[in-house]
Amino acid sequence: MFKKVFYHSLLAGLLASVAGIIYNRIYFFATEADFSKVLNTGGIIGLNIMVCMAAGLVYWGLIKSMNKKGEILFNFLFSIISFACVMIPISISLPLKIQFPELFPGLAVPMVFFPAIAWFTVRPLFN
Amino acid sequence: MLYPFAAIIIFIASGFTFIQSQNWKIAENYSVKFDGGDPSGEFSGLKGNISFDEKDLVGSKFDVTIDIATINTGNGMKNTHAKSDKWLDAVKYPTIKFASSSIAKTASGYQAKGMLDMHGVQKEISFPFTFAGNVFAGGFEINRLDYNINTVEPEHGSTKFKVSVSVPVTK
Repeated sequence: MFKKVFYHSLLAGLLASVAGIIYNRIYFFATEADFSKVLNTGGIIGLNIMVCMAAGLVYWGLIKSMNKKGEILFNFLFSIISFACVMIPISISLPLKIQFPELFPGLAVPMVFFPAIAWFTVRPLFN
Repeated sequence: MLYPFAAIIIFIASGFTFIQSQNWKIAENYSVKFDGGDPSGEFSGLKGNISFDEKDLVGSKFDVTIDIATINTGNGMKNTHAKSDKWLDAVKYPTIKFASSSIAKTASGYQAKGMLDMHGVQKEISFPFTFAGNVFAGGFEINRLDYNINTVEPEHGSTKFKVSVSVPVTK
């Protein structure tokens, strides 16, 4: 069970990382705003894998303690927490040397949903 | 007859050369930072005339402006709020102006006194500064309520801001 959740989390983290890296490149070409000092490829991979691994631990705990209802609760929690995390890129203050901070939420807000989307996308593979 | 006249002309012209040499150009890597805890940030639109001579402080003068639209707190939402009519009102008051009225030598550097014009309010301020290696560096503290900036919400964020200025100059 734990092994399955581990691979599920890892695959979701990698998928979210790929989506994040692609979106980061598209956003840079569209706006030419360089946020690589606060959000670069390494950071995107690290954050997505970390979030998905943490989600996996919560998922495993809830399934262990609540069986089927655990998954329902987890799905709600993951969605609600992802939505609440929208406030992080909106409220964060970037280093002053970074230009166009008003464009940062446009990059980071969609990214906060990538771990949850990736998690739900690969979920059927681990039934 | 021509030589005394030429000597006078050259003497007067040299005087203008001397005055010209005291003018400084603001180099690009200057910083005008403000620190109120939250928010803190900087302005990047510094322009103006700096006329400074350590040997002629009476003839020295700062006459500079800062473009409000160039405010950067590191957060886009805060930048927008700062420029809005609730705070600095960049449309109605697009610049902050400082014109010195006197500059005096002190034990640790210099003291500038002058009029700070911000948000439609003119207030005399005095602040210490140093001039070393062609860099002016100084700082002062201002209270936003003295300049009628969001007096409706005196408890919203900081009221006192430490302003620190570092301006490299070239001739």
